Amino acid sequence: MSTVDDRPMADADGPEEPTNRPEVTHRLREWLSRPYARHIIVMTAVFTLLVLPAAWLVIHFMNLTGAPASAIMSEIEKTMFVFTMVSAPLMAVTLAVIIYSLIGWGRVTGDEPPMQASPAIRGNAIGTGLWIGVTSVLAAFLVVWGLVELATITSLSYGSTPANQQPNSARPIDINVTGQQWVWSFEYPDNGRITSDQLVVPIDVPLYFNVTSLDVVHSFWVVELGIKIDANPGAITNTGVTPNKLGTYSIRCAELCGLHHAYMETTITVVTQEQYDAWLREHGGKRTV
Amino acid sequence: MSAVTRSASAPEPLSPTTGEPVSTPARRNRLGIWLCIVSDATGTVALLVAYSYLWSLNVNSAWAPPKDAWADALPFWLIVLGIVVAAVVMWWGVRGIEAGHRDRLIVASVVASVIVVAAFVGQIVQLATFPFGPSDGAYASATYWLALATAFHLFLLLFLVTAILNRTRRGLITVANPYHARLVAMWVTWICVAAFLGALFATTMTVSPNLDSPSFGTFQE
Amino acid sequence: MSDTAVIHEQAAVPQPAQHGRPGGMLRHTSIITGTVAGLVLAVITYAIGSHYFVPWGEQNADFSQVGLDALVAATYVAWVIGFMAGIGAFAGPIRWALGHDLTHADAEYMAGRGQGKWRYWKYTTDHKVVGFQYLIMAMVLLGLGGFLAMLIRTELGVTWAEVFDPNFYNSLIGTHGIVMVIAMIIVVAGPLGNFIVPIMIGARDMAFPRLNALSFWLLFAAVPPLVSNLLLGGMRDGWTVYQPLGNQAPVGMIGYQVCIIVFAFSTGIASVNLITTIVTMRARGMTWNRVPIFAFGILGSSIMGLVWFPMFQYSQILALSDKVIASSFYIPQMGGSVWLYENLFWLLGHPEVYVIVIPATAALLELMTVFLRKPLFSYKIAVAGIAGVVGISSVVWVHHMYMTGWAPAAGYPFMLSTELISIPFGFLVLVMLGTIWRGKVWTRLPMMCVYAVIWCKIIGGITGVYLSDVPVDQYMHGSMFVVAHFHFMLMGAGLFAAMGAIAYWFPKMTGRILNERIGSIGFWTAFFGFQLTFGSMFIAGLQGMPRRVLQFDNAFNISNWASTIGAYIIGIGMLVFLYAVIHSWRNGQPSGSNPWGSKSLEWQTETPVPLENFPVLPVVTSDPYDYGVPDPYDEIERELTDEGAESTVGAR
Ligand SMILES: [Cu+2]
Repeated sequence: MSTVDDRPMADADGPEEPTNRPEVTHRLREWLSRPYARHIIVMTAVFTLLVLPAAWLVIHFMNLTGAPASAIMSEIEKTMFVFTMVSAPLMAVTLAVIIYSLIGWGRVTGDEPPMQASPAIRGNAIGTGLWIGVTSVLAAFLVVWGLVELATITSLSYGSTPANQQPNSARPIDINVTGQQWVWSFEYPDNGRITSDQLVVPIDVPLYFNVTSLDVVHSFWVVELGIKIDANPGAITNTGVTPNKLGTYSIRCAELCGLHHAYMETTITVVTQEQYDAWLREHGGKRTV
Repeated sequence: MSAVTRSASAPEPLSPTTGEPVSTPARRNRLGIWLCIVSDATGTVALLVAYSYLWSLNVNSAWAPPKDAWADALPFWLIVLGIVVAAVVMWWGVRGIEAGHRDRLIVASVVASVIVVAAFVGQIVQLATFPFGPSDGAYASATYWLALATAFHLFLLLFLVTAILNRTRRGLITVANPYHARLVAMWVTWICVAAFLGALFATTMTVSPNLDSPSFGTFQE
Repeated sequence: MSDTAVIHEQAAVPQPAQHGRPGGMLRHTSIITGTVAGLVLAVITYAIGSHYFVPWGEQNADFSQVGLDALVAATYVAWVIGFMAGIGAFAGPIRWALGHDLTHADAEYMAGRGQGKWRYWKYTTDHKVVGFQYLIMAMVLLGLGGFLAMLIRTELGVTWAEVFDPNFYNSLIGTHGIVMVIAMIIVVAGPLGNFIVPIMIGARDMAFPRLNALSFWLLFAAVPPLVSNLLLGGMRDGWTVYQPLGNQAPVGMIGYQVCIIVFAFSTGIASVNLITTIVTMRARGMTWNRVPIFAFGILGSSIMGLVWFPMFQYSQILALSDKVIASSFYIPQMGGSVWLYENLFWLLGHPEVYVIVIPATAALLELMTVFLRKPLFSYKIAVAGIAGVVGISSVVWVHHMYMTGWAPAAGYPFMLSTELISIPFGFLVLVMLGTIWRGKVWTRLPMMCVYAVIWCKIIGGITGVYLSDVPVDQYMHGSMFVVAHFHFMLMGAGLFAAMGAIAYWFPKMTGRILNERIGSIGFWTAFFGFQLTFGSMFIAGLQGMPRRVLQFDNAFNISNWASTIGAYIIGIGMLVFLYAVIHSWRNGQPSGSNPWGSKSLEWQTETPVPLENFPVLPVVTSDPYDYGVPDPYDEIERELTDEGAESTVGAR
């Protein structure tokens, strides 16, 4: 109890007591009274508002062909959106400083080295600390967001954790994907081993892809569903997705694989369960229950 | 004309090319050799990574050589032993010349040259007598390249050691200015490490730990 | 460029015996003897090999000629060895082994004394000559790479037809990529690292002058094999040459592989030289906190090159081995792994981006202080930024391999490291902004490049953050978005910075000012073309256009047309800039020794720089950023502080 009584006295006498500095608010007010500070703050705010629509624009371009057709793609778009939002102020402040420097702090032209009166600023602890602090916090945020999102899409596709993780109640459909120069072929091992060069899958049922290649490296990219995994010769890679939107989407090869790489594309058609069953019957496959 | 380059009064000999005291280029060259070692070490690590990674994957169950004819371990270790002896001898010679015995460096570099020639010939013989060719699977390829890298190192070493011999004989490596010999000794020491690591990998990592790799082009494990 | 300066006296130093006239064999060698010897040896090798060793008519399983790969590889290697022998590269080691040490007269001859312009075509050891040689080489490579880029964009702009054969198109993108990568690696560290850095730190030459010549001429020897690939069936792959696709290519691929193997030696040697020079040859008084930041940039870049280039080199040595002696490092049927290649490749492949960007950025930091007449803002943060990037760059390579399926769990740690590297990189942006902060800017071309580069860095940096994120990369990997991103980093932040840096040091190198008006017109034309080209490419990527294709869905047409128009604008701008360089070099306005009024050492010696740079070696007493006047706001601050102190005392 006695320490509580002692403290005010110790504080008053302590030589490390920083009361001989002006208050933070006082210093801040002085800084804000400088014309350039106010201008840059206003410019930063304006630029931020100007840049923010990019977040919607990015999503708009990604959605032009029908995306998102899966929860994974939605997560990817959400990440793009958030990252753009977070980047906007940083971009705005940088732009504000460089544009202001061309108009606000004076400039000189001519051939002779001018005798400019720029202030000899060799550093600024507060500014530096602020920058490092903010960028570190931002980086930390992006890392944490990324790690969580990665865990999320991993569990959504259970591609990288093949330990029988079953996110949906429906039984997943295994599909063997084989890339070769320059076609994709698909095999439904659970459905009578029927094969096809186009994918037809039911909506809202998890798909589990085993992917390999017969020659060089290809990359199995289902664009609107937001999944991609390399098809490597001599190895089997996995990914998975649950389509949640009816429609026909593109499958492209995303790794240069030689002469006709550009034409190595096919489609995935997401249909209802009934249409899928009909398609299976038509191709001689059987539905496994 | 500045004091830096014109210290003719100093007892230390001056470099004829730049006029600096020889300890200045010596310091520079020592750093240069260290950097070369770092660079060569990365290359060696690349080979070791290639070896151990393919060993651990056993892609298409094709790591092992045909008929499980693994390379004999003894030649690897004999060559390493040779290089280690050469390194020890070189250091003995360097210590000798630094203590004022020029003859010791001459003897050392003669002995080291002979050993390096023997090791180089041994390496070529080993390459020629492997029970497999370079195209007999991943193990064969990786082992070939570990041996080839040692052969290349030995070839370079032969040039360096014989040059040291010649330079010492001609009185260019002296008690006052012995640093070239020391640099070559540093390099030989690194070659010992590189050859040792190669031999260690090639002789201890034979049968792959991964025995259920998928067969090529199928989904069967 | 005169070499008539008096060299410091050598009379007191005992000289070894002079063997023949000064220079010895190097009196007779030049690029001509080198080329002749290289061609002769290559032809002899090809003739002997094809006559005695190649069983003509026998075919491999893929219908290629048995032994042809080995023959072509041997021919290329013979060219390199023949060229290096012919230009006199082996004279040094042979003289050393024989004990014929260089006399001072030999060294002076080799540094180009008394050879006039001809010394630029010889195995000359003077760092200023090597700097010019690198400059010309970089410009030739940039021109070639740019021309190939125009061809690529033409193909992509003509959306209604195939202009080129697909195989040739694939070779075009690969050759464009690797030519540009090599050009960008050398464009700052070559001309400026060699010409400027030794003067800047107050040295008479590089630490190892003969290795300096060796590194340049190895590069020179490496380029013809690379370019010749287009005539020999092409490399038919991206610049990354993923295996086993690379193994399918015709013999042109060997040109690429030999080039990379030789270029890696060149870079390694140049790195050893630059590091040693900066570490051991600084002027008296130039402590580590007085080293110009550009020298730190070159140091950091050289460390990355030195440590990681051998990985790239070995990735290609093993690929060549797969092709020539049918080993199976990357052939999965025989136990090889594609992931092995990808790891070895990207272990250099990523640091290489910083090998390019760090010295370019450091050059801008250096020149900003001059045009703003302000000290560098937070020198220590700048050094920490470079050090941080160099350190972390070695543990980020897997972000190129997120989608390979190699190790899905590796996504977590490597996403962490990749996003962490943005913090030290942010330090460099902070230093740029802090130096600009409240500075009165002298708006000359080099300084204007700084503004252009900061813009490109913002865009490249933010899109880089997207790509470092595994889920986003799952969509973007292998798409045009990636292409646009790395062009913003390598061209926007790399090449534009290099152009600014060259414009800044042009007067020191040539004695003339780079024509401001023509140069600016060229630069800004290229800059705006660049925004159009790669801005629209981002959109194509977002829409899902894969990279390295020559035909695509109609949905991508509009952005591709815009990209192609932008590319032609870049081409025009670059030609104008090139004209400014050539025109100013020949008859520009003479600059005097220090036209910018800089305080850095390289501007204190006379122009043209004499053979050993300084008549008397300088002694350094401060860093070179001693510009500006006391900050008026500091007065206010001090008053506030005093007031505060008084009031505290009063309260007591
Ligand atoms: Cu493909």
